[in-house]
Amino acid sequence: MSQTAAKDNQAPIEQELYKKREKIYPREVHGVFAALRLLAMAALLGFYYGMPWINWDDRQAILFDLPARKFYIFGLTFWPQDFFYLSMLLIIAAFSLFLFTALAGRLWCGYACPQTVWTEIYMWIERKIEGGSRKQKKRDQGPRDASFFRIKLAKHSAWLLFSLWTGLTFVGYFTPIRELWGSGLTWNLGPWETFWIFFYGFATYGNAGFMREQVCIYMCPYARFQSVMFDHDTLIISYDEQRGDPRGSRKRGTPSSSVGLGDCIDCGLCVQVCPVGIDIRDGLQYQCIGCAACIDVCDDIMDKMGYPRGLVKYTTENALQGKPTKTIRPRLLVYVSVLTFVSAALVYALWTRIPLEVDILRDRNVLYTETDEGLVQNVYNLKIINMDDQLHRYSLSVSGLEGLRVIGQTEDIEIVSGAVADLPLRVEIDPFALKSTSSEIMFHIESTVTPEIAIEERARFLGPVMR
Amino acid sequence: MPTLPTTRHDNNQLPVTQQIVSVMWPSFLTASVATIIFFTLFDPTELAMIGGFPNLTRTGGYTIGFFCFWLLTSVSCALTCYFRRPTNLRKPDEAPPQS
Ligand code: SF4
Ligand code: SF4
Repeated sequence: MSQTAAKDNQAPIEQELYKKREKIYPREVHGVFAALRLLAMAALLGFYYGMPWINWDDRQAILFDLPARKFYIFGLTFWPQDFFYLSMLLIIAAFSLFLFTALAGRLWCGYACPQTVWTEIYMWIERKIEGGSRKQKKRDQGPRDASFFRIKLAKHSAWLLFSLWTGLTFVGYFTPIRELWGSGLTWNLGPWETFWIFFYGFATYGNAGFMREQVCIYMCPYARFQSVMFDHDTLIISYDEQRGDPRGSRKRGTPSSSVGLGDCIDCGLCVQVCPVGIDIRDGLQYQCIGCAACIDVCDDIMDKMGYPRGLVKYTTENALQGKPTKTIRPRLLVYVSVLTFVSAALVYALWTRIPLEVDILRDRNVLYTETDEGLVQNVYNLKIINMDDQLHRYSLSVSGLEGLRVIGQTEDIEIVSGAVADLPLRVEIDPFALKSTSSEIMFHIESTVTPEIAIEERARFLGPVMR
Repeated sequence: MPTLPTTRHDNNQLPVTQQIVSVMWPSFLTASVATIIFFTLFDPTELAMIGGFPNLTRTGGYTIGFFCFWLLTSVSCALTCYFRRPTNLRKPDEAPPQS
């Protein structure tokens, strides 16, 4: 890219994109929101690393058993055929996100997003090994001596070990984690498992160790489109300009009015703690992940100065303009009603779910055959899946046309829990009973143990028309 | 060193790392979705049978499937990125057209 071209007509925002990224050394914060963040981090990471170890009914409570194409979620077993439930879950997730964002803004980003949570733990490790942000920065700008490399080596080893554990846990959601650790410790992992452990581990290492705020700024689709879900009543983090400006330093305990300044002492701490490297006093910016670190640190300063807290605080656009904040808004009601409806439908669908599934495949090679007795035969292949967690015996019947007869096993079709039975069947009929070349017939399958477990499946019966 | 022809609009071009991210990342997302939908409908072992790889495990099938999708989607993202460049090239030392 040439210099000349770069010079003309360059908006400041473009310049920012050109700037080489400088590493941000956010200062450590203590306070109410820092404690909340820590709590959320502990709970979420605890869940992530602990959940695969919890068992339910002799098997892992949450296991997306990809090799067997079965998903276990506590007592429930899902199959690829249950895709419908997954899509409902996705709708629920999407609307929860809309609702949550409209209400609470970027609360998710600041406290619960995996990117934030993992970055936080990687920073914690970094601080434990490298020391505080000032020390880190000094070391990075200092000489590349033995101690520099020793400390960097220690940090990266710790990070890598943690990443490996993360990757192993991730794969543990897809292959039973106990077996995985067993084979991992004896160097017996399958090639694909090994690959995914390293892939996920490496992604975590890169995202939480190096990319950090850049993931939020450049890669996160949510960060980009959330502005459309915001309104004037959405919870945001903001600096109170009316109260803070004009800014300026002063002695501790000096009332602002006596020096003709606002309450901001221009200490710059809110900028130093910011993990994305912005100044909250410049107004709401889309880089802000709403982590509230600046609130904590500024409240601390206000306490020290003897000023009331909340120069930087959670507020809403309306509140900032002195208008009342409306929590209940039409769009929220829409979100809530959609959510209630879909959730109720999902619960109902799960409640009435019949753990039996049948796929009927017609023999594609022959349309129909005629027997010596002059009857027409169609060949079907039934795949019956017992999705219940106990053994069932099923009986089968066919209806839809006068005089249909099934040749093959129709009684005592025994299928153990979770198994698929292949059942080849022939159905025959007197061709004079056929009214068209393609008629609809119905297969009924019913469990003899629990008659409520019964399904019907449509199929086509082909034959000649005799007139 | 000869300078590459450039345009006024080149100012809007992102730095290389960001270009790579903007190709690899959206394609990763769409490839993940495609993989999930595709493999709910088709069993990789059955596909492998048809394709003549009877020894492929399911996990292997998912992995290969995912990377094939990722390759496809990233090619399409890269093409978008490429065609996004304006075609009215102009020499760097020319004055920018007045607008
Ligand atoms: S931390 Fe508070 S007082 Fe210090 S510069 Fe930021 S807003 Fe002003
Ligand atoms: S501006 Fe404040 S809330 Fe936003 S990311 Fe920075 S420190 Fe966190």
